[in-house]
Amino acid sequence: MNQSLLMYKPESTKSFLSEVIEKSGQNLTACYQCRRCAAGCSVGDETVFFTPDKLIRMIIMGDKYGALNNELVWKCVSCYTCGTRCPNDIQTGKITETLKKIAKQEKIKPLIPKVKHFHDSFFKSGVRWGRVNEMEFMGFYELKNSLNDFFVKKDTKAIIDEIKEQVKLGFSMLKLKRLHFDFQMSRGRIELRRLSKISNN
Amino acid sequence: MQIAYYPGCSLKQSSNLYDIQTRKIFAYLGVNLQEINDWNCCGATSAGKTNDFMALAMPARNIGLAEAAGFSEIVIPCSACYLRTIVSKNVINDNPALKKKINSSIKRKFIGDIKILNILEALEKVAGNGKLKKSIKYKIKGLNPVCYYGCMLTRFPYNVEISDNVENPQAMENMLKSLGIHTIDWNYKTSCCGASAAINDRKTSLNLMAKILSDAIQRGADCIVTTCPMCQMNLDSNQDEICENIGCDQRLPVYFITELLGMAMGMSIQELQINRHFIDGTQLLKELELK
Repeated sequence: MNQSLLMYKPESTKSFLSEVIEKSGQNLTACYQCRRCAAGCSVGDETVFFTPDKLIRMIIMGDKYGALNNELVWKCVSCYTCGTRCPNDIQTGKITETLKKIAKQEKIKPLIPKVKHFHDSFFKSGVRWGRVNEMEFMGFYELKNSLNDFFVKKDTKAIIDEIKEQVKLGFSMLKLKRLHFDFQMSRGRIELRRLSKISNN
Repeated sequence: MQIAYYPGCSLKQSSNLYDIQTRKIFAYLGVNLQEINDWNCCGATSAGKTNDFMALAMPARNIGLAEAAGFSEIVIPCSACYLRTIVSKNVINDNPALKKKINSSIKRKFIGDIKILNILEALEKVAGNGKLKKSIKYKIKGLNPVCYYGCMLTRFPYNVEISDNVENPQAMENMLKSLGIHTIDWNYKTSCCGASAAINDRKTSLNLMAKILSDAIQRGADCIVTTCPMCQMNLDSNQDEICENIGCDQRLPVYFITELLGMAMGMSIQELQINRHFIDGTQLLKELELK
């Protein structure tokens, strides 16, 4: 990862940088590496080397592979601390969200597949029914994870552990009447589907 | 007085106690909360990470519904729904082409004049200027809470004007002060609990919550007060595991602000459904002095 920071690729630089600037709406070139974002990053302890300023630098340098395959992009919790503190109003939280979408479009395998599965399942459930049903979308999410564990990672133990954990949470929620079996739906789902058709990405 | 009310998916399901409490509190203060008819999901953070256009269009439909029904204000208790809706409103208002595109597909058109309030702003508006102090039945003594705001009440991925301090908000402290509660100052009031990472990136989220809980415990707090259903669920349901990891015997009930307000208004624990927490919150409240 250290090495890739030093590689300058003129042929790919402009297009990737402009793509990120355009899609995220953030002016990355305004970054002067003061690292206020790095100091405040919620997941800084988890990503260690990789901080928002480094991600921005990497994009400017044109390292597309590195920018899409790092822990920050996939661990970012969208707390928006970096952008709130940035003296140049660069919201790196929006940049990591944009990079997730670029990875999806270009069918690049996510570093943490569970993150992608979660947001896909949640969003699809919301558009499908007009409202998110916790049990339904969690079902799809677990299904996607299990299929990934089984066919890609060939790891059946991970599936059993995951299911055990979710069943445990499910039971304690059931006891507290925090699990709901009535189905939430909105007639607006027809409009949402129409909107989803005209969206570009 | 009538205000439009957007509960959101979470308040209809796992956190429906928050929905019940919110309605009771506002009814007590003489406000009629009108649930927006046929509202849809705001898309939450997931839409922002999946589809930019939909992340703006989904809340836009709700705004359109409320505006068509003639409301001038919406109160949104869930922090995630609040953030998504207010960001959507501001982005679309700044972008006429986008407004046209969205309006072409929805029946109740988005106008963009409506005011979006989070629960603290709404309570301030309804019962601000000392009115809350006069209208409560009891003063609560003997509670030492820390106020936890989380991310989405003060930090936005777009230009949004907020009424409170970004790094050190005070709205919840001021509200609890008028109930007679002394709050404890701490470092993690606007830190992130990890939100959905508790499910899809567990280790990260547990580490974030461990920092929040250990600061609260070390400062001598006996409970946490919050307004966000996601934060409440996370800190409540994962607390046993986190405290075992950091070797701590103490547990802190995580209350919604509406629960303490409800107690001060003379509502019972059963009525407010406080008995539905993972970490028991009833014992501490039973021991309290209500004067």
